[in-house]
Amino acid sequence: MDIQTSKQDGVTVVALSGNLDGNTVNEAQEKIMPLLSADTKSLVLDLKGCGYVSSAGLRLLLMAAKQLNSQGGILVLSGVCDEIKDVMEMTGFSNFFKSFPDISAAVAAVRKGGA
Amino acid sequence: MMLRVDLHPTHVSEDGKYHLRVGKPLPFGASIVPGGVNFSIYSRYATSCKLVLFNKHEQKPFCVIPFKDEFRIGNVFTMVVFDLDYENLEYGFYMDGPFDPRQGHRFDKTKVLMDPYAKAIGGRDVWGKTPDWNDIYQHRARICFDDFDWESDHPLETPIEDLVIYEMHVRGFTRHPSSGVKHPGTFAGIKEKIPYLKELGVSCVELMPIHEFDEFENSRVSPTTGKMLMNYWGYSNVGFFAPKAGFAATGKFGMQVDECKTLIKELHKNGIEVILDVVFNHTAEGNEKGPYISYRGIDNKTYYLLTPDGYYFNFSGCGNTLNCNNPLVRNMILDCLRYWAADYHVDGFRFDLASILGRDQNGAPMHSPPLLETLAFDPILGKCKLIAEAWDAGGLYQVGSFPAWGRWAEWNGKYRDDLRKFLKGEPGSLGGMAQRLQGSPDLYSWEGRGATASINFITAHDGFTLYDMVSYNGKHNEANGENNSDGSNDNYSWNCGWEGESTDPAVNKLRMKQMKNAVAMLLVSQGTPMILAGDEMANTQWGNNNAYCQDNEISWIDWSQLDKNRELFNFFKKMIAFRKAHPVLRSSGHFKNRDYMGSGFADITWHGQKAWNVDWSAESRMLAFLLCGMHAKGGTVDDNSIYVAMNMHWEMHGFELPKLNHHMQWYVFANTDAQPPFDIWEPGKEVRIENQNEFLVGPRSVVILVGKESK
Repeated sequence: MDIQTSKQDGVTVVALSGNLDGNTVNEAQEKIMPLLSADTKSLVLDLKGCGYVSSAGLRLLLMAAKQLNSQGGILVLSGVCDEIKDVMEMTGFSNFFKSFPDISAAVAAVRKGGA
Repeated sequence: MMLRVDLHPTHVSEDGKYHLRVGKPLPFGASIVPGGVNFSIYSRYATSCKLVLFNKHEQKPFCVIPFKDEFRIGNVFTMVVFDLDYENLEYGFYMDGPFDPRQGHRFDKTKVLMDPYAKAIGGRDVWGKTPDWNDIYQHRARICFDDFDWESDHPLETPIEDLVIYEMHVRGFTRHPSSGVKHPGTFAGIKEKIPYLKELGVSCVELMPIHEFDEFENSRVSPTTGKMLMNYWGYSNVGFFAPKAGFAATGKFGMQVDECKTLIKELHKNGIEVILDVVFNHTAEGNEKGPYISYRGIDNKTYYLLTPDGYYFNFSGCGNTLNCNNPLVRNMILDCLRYWAADYHVDGFRFDLASILGRDQNGAPMHSPPLLETLAFDPILGKCKLIAEAWDAGGLYQVGSFPAWGRWAEWNGKYRDDLRKFLKGEPGSLGGMAQRLQGSPDLYSWEGRGATASINFITAHDGFTLYDMVSYNGKHNEANGENNSDGSNDNYSWNCGWEGESTDPAVNKLRMKQMKNAVAMLLVSQGTPMILAGDEMANTQWGNNNAYCQDNEISWIDWSQLDKNRELFNFFKKMIAFRKAHPVLRSSGHFKNRDYMGSGFADITWHGQKAWNVDWSAESRMLAFLLCGMHAKGGTVDDNSIYVAMNMHWEMHGFELPKLNHHMQWYVFANTDAQPPFDIWEPGKEVRIENQNEFLVGPRSVVILVGKESK
């Protein structure tokens, strides 16, 4: 799994490539959770390069979103492929996320105050 | 994270790869703990036990770890294994012990055994995908996350008398291509149909078994249709704690738990309760010729009712009988129900062949069965509906006498039979019908029970669909491959003049009317009504009254019928709305048969062709009753009065109407003899009738009037 962190218009963007599952979730967690310091108000997780997110992976996303929410921030997703979207819909995870077609749309929405 | 001493292992596995320590005996099963997984399993008679670990879908275990002596507490083997990739893990057990069938022991240390407490089970991840029969471990225990985010969801706790139950098969409901859902035949498919359920107005879905079962159990080819016959209904548990993976579109990803919970959460959001049909009377291991899945190899003598010679009692008709009143099995059943109530927010349970739950360890019926009493008083199940199918395949029939402690309701088989007899015009059926309409006081008026003990139904998965009940005199089960010898012969059905599909408009018109008559009577009866999914669109099984093995068009609901039968759907929908609008139809107690509100009318009064007079003779087929609105819910709420006239004679008859109090007039809500749109009205928009003294009720017809102030 490849995890790239960048800033766009002042918003932190984490791009995940590869499968987010039991094998990679710990590594992803180690990279993502430190980005959620108390002063972080927003994060974009880009899943464009991600073909599969397992149950453990979805839980990591939800934990990160809840962490940000608890400090008044927001986590949004971008570039989620149809199959993952579908799985998230069926398993209830989609209720907790706003999702955008690409990074710039997600960043724009976050800058406007979470869309 | 809190610092804990037990985060540190104390032992290493023989191959040096896994770190271990003694586990906690409770909870049983596999639980995620800091740093690892806690495994716990009990066996009274096993001499040793080994944990067998597999990577998902792999046939060879990657590790076998014996439980050391110090990892056994009493009869429980328990240990923590650290650093497991538990999302990719499948686990089982080897159990050693005596093989002595006469003494009830059937240990076989070569068999990999599934954890009876497995919360997720792999091996049949995608419905109907042929398994690899060479796999030594067919039904594979998995670890599951138990951290589902329910947000503010809570079981709805709707009073049982206010429910309209809709019984469905998870797969059959949307599997037919005509359902139009994205993932046919799954929990997700039902979720897509929630707007439909809301439009129909039902307030509870009762799901036929969703515990993991093996659709390939006893699978074979039908001699008549050439189609594969499967265990489609699933009344045969592999595991009691795991949802059927093949019912989840995400089962292939191992996410069936989340998908099932999401469905329940969404149904609750829409005001719809969920009742599970649970099967604690037997397991999928069959008799002595059946496979080792779990229980047989773990503690045969504990889990099953055995004859003195060590053979399996067969009170279930399915080869074996779960030893429900063994204290350990009793606890497992309680743990299971608590788990579904607490972790899945399930609103209630319907117990298949529940009379078995009241048999002692020798198979004899008990007076006060401890299991049933425990369930009635359990705090976690305290608000769950408990519904018994109050009979079993061993000849015990307890409708009206099921041990209840004021908590248990019953599938009222007598309601079904008496209504069907009355509907087809059988002589001598008035007396029974009068009892059924009142919530069966002849069956349920003692021991703290009331109308709420009666689950009223005309059709259920077992037997004819509503359409088939008015289209077939006899069952047509040839496709099941048993020469039409399976399935009930006591259907009390009538084909309206032609056996099966008919092109005769008169026959079809009568069938439509009989279906409306049936649902009208069901929804004005006291007690809790249950509808079989698909009946509202005249779904047919072509006369098959036992479609347990038909995973095909015979049992799948054909949604294209909905467009063809809008008239019937509309009738169902308005009858359900009518019931909701009128508390006088939804008493929890029985009628007192007197006027205790000073209204001038008793709570219920009986009428016939002459008001206040019923011809109760055997040849009479006419009955009417009046519910006084001032007596609704024991006089605690005010409602309109409702008069229902039922003429099951083949000729039209005039019914003299009881005179209402001053300013009150009769309005017609439904008349099954009339053609749409005059067959039924929106509740509250009923039409005043010209002749307030008499109503001509058509042949085989039901008329429902509402008494309210004239405008």
